[in-house]
Amino acid sequence: MMHKALSADFLKIRGKGLWLLIFSGPVGLIAMQALNYGLRYDYLMQKYTGRRWEALLADIQMFVPISLFLGVTLIPSLLSHIEHSTNAWKQLLALPISRGTVFRSKFALSIILLTASCTVLAVGIVLLGFSLRFELGDMPVGQILKLCFLPFFASLPAMALFLWLCINMKNQAIPITLGVLIAISSVFTGFIPGTLSKILPVNWPMLSIAGPKQELFVGTGFLLSMAICLLGTFHFIRKDVI
Amino acid sequence: MKEWIIETKGLSKRYKGRYAVSNLNLKIEKGDIYGFLGPNGAGKTTTIRMLLGLIKPSNGSVHIFGQPLNKDKLSILRRIGSLVEYPSYYGHLSATDNLEAIRRILGAPVARIAEVLDIVGLSKEARRPVKGFSLGMKQRLGIASALLGNPELLLLDEPTNGLDPSGILEIRELIKQMPKQHGITVLISSHLLSEVELTAGTVGIIRQGELVFQDTIAHLHQQAQGSMSLVVSEPEQALAILRSHGAQAAQSGSALLLENTGDHTIARIVKSLVEHNHAIYRVEEKRKSLEELFLQIVGEGKLS
Repeated sequence: MMHKALSADFLKIRGKGLWLLIFSGPVGLIAMQALNYGLRYDYLMQKYTGRRWEALLADIQMFVPISLFLGVTLIPSLLSHIEHSTNAWKQLLALPISRGTVFRSKFALSIILLTASCTVLAVGIVLLGFSLRFELGDMPVGQILKLCFLPFFASLPAMALFLWLCINMKNQAIPITLGVLIAISSVFTGFIPGTLSKILPVNWPMLSIAGPKQELFVGTGFLLSMAICLLGTFHFIRKDVI
Repeated sequence: MKEWIIETKGLSKRYKGRYAVSNLNLKIEKGDIYGFLGPNGAGKTTTIRMLLGLIKPSNGSVHIFGQPLNKDKLSILRRIGSLVEYPSYYGHLSATDNLEAIRRILGAPVARIAEVLDIVGLSKEARRPVKGFSLGMKQRLGIASALLGNPELLLLDEPTNGLDPSGILEIRELIKQMPKQHGITVLISSHLLSEVELTAGTVGIIRQGELVFQDTIAHLHQQAQGSMSLVVSEPEQALAILRSHGAQAAQSGSALLLENTGDHTIARIVKSLVEHNHAIYRVEEKRKSLEELFLQIVGEGKLS
């Protein structure tokens, strides 16, 4: 049943600009660094001799959590909007498909789209390093993959939460405002000292690539997202569709 | 024993202490076209949503195809096509893609899309994005979606909303054919009696959430009993003769009105009047129109 729902959902996002958004996020991050290096190529090459790849990754890393938070807000919102705009929920849910499947299909599609985004980022980093004539032999493939995918797992709880909110609220302004606020605050919440900083899920994407016990934040993020997804499904199944 | 396609028992929905639908006992026979009537806000859409499992009833039960809806929801929904209130569509997709999105979930054959587009007369517009469609075309697309899975039961909530007269006629003809050609049972809701009068076999009338009438349309016609009007030369004396025959008569100008009078009584009265040398100018039957009867039912909640 799941593949039927997913294939219908893939059809529905045609021509909605979702794929553009998926590509423009990572391309924007790469373009920023391309500009950085383009403006002061000689200086930066000189400064980072011997650790050029690492320096590039560190520069990109700062912007990964905020981009991810924007992505996990906007993608579920756009997906839900397709059903909200002409109240297609009543038509969709009167079809022989369980509500749980409908919810999980949207969740899976969000994951697939953002995974595509992460992949584009990884490819983009390699291409950028290549065109900046970094040493290909020194390329830290593992580091690049970690940077592109681990923060995504750590941001999944936010995605599950936003999908739940976006599906239930016809007015998307509320979840989007919340998402943008979280994305911006993620830049600053890292400065909170002590354990509180580690408890806040908004810091998990950053903690999953920087600092000790990275796997802890990836794992907890994944588990928490499953729990939220379960709660969201449970609520969606019982809800009256008006 | 009749086979009930839809049977609800004590179906109720309460919103914040107020009953939108209360104690509804619908019975819809196989192969029938059931006209579900009521003024706006009477609870028609709420009922249809409960029949589709979109809303959970506060009380009561729904059985469709003899199966309980709360247990066998998906297998029941597989056999139902529905159009609830305003048409739902994905505006950025073409008519074909809209149907394809539904087809992928239903698992119907691809060729069925062209078939249903042809049935509702949208084949020529199939490739255009639906957001440019007129309301009537969107409504037809909604009906096409409802037919896509070859349903045995169609639930149509005000399907002729927004259609022009020729569109209404087309849809009416289309609905009429359903039971005959495909054995489909149809429930069609409307706030206009004239809308379903020509198609429905049975009507249910709902008022403030309660079912106040449920019977065949023929029975409704009988309820709309007429009165006889006699126009005579000397109404005062004629009235006395009528009363001597035991008829319930009243005078209005030169006309005498008789309520609920049988053929024999009329014959005796006319004969008697002629024998008393009254000139009879007219003997007319005045039927209360169904529309008047309907308004009376939804106005008072019962038949007089």
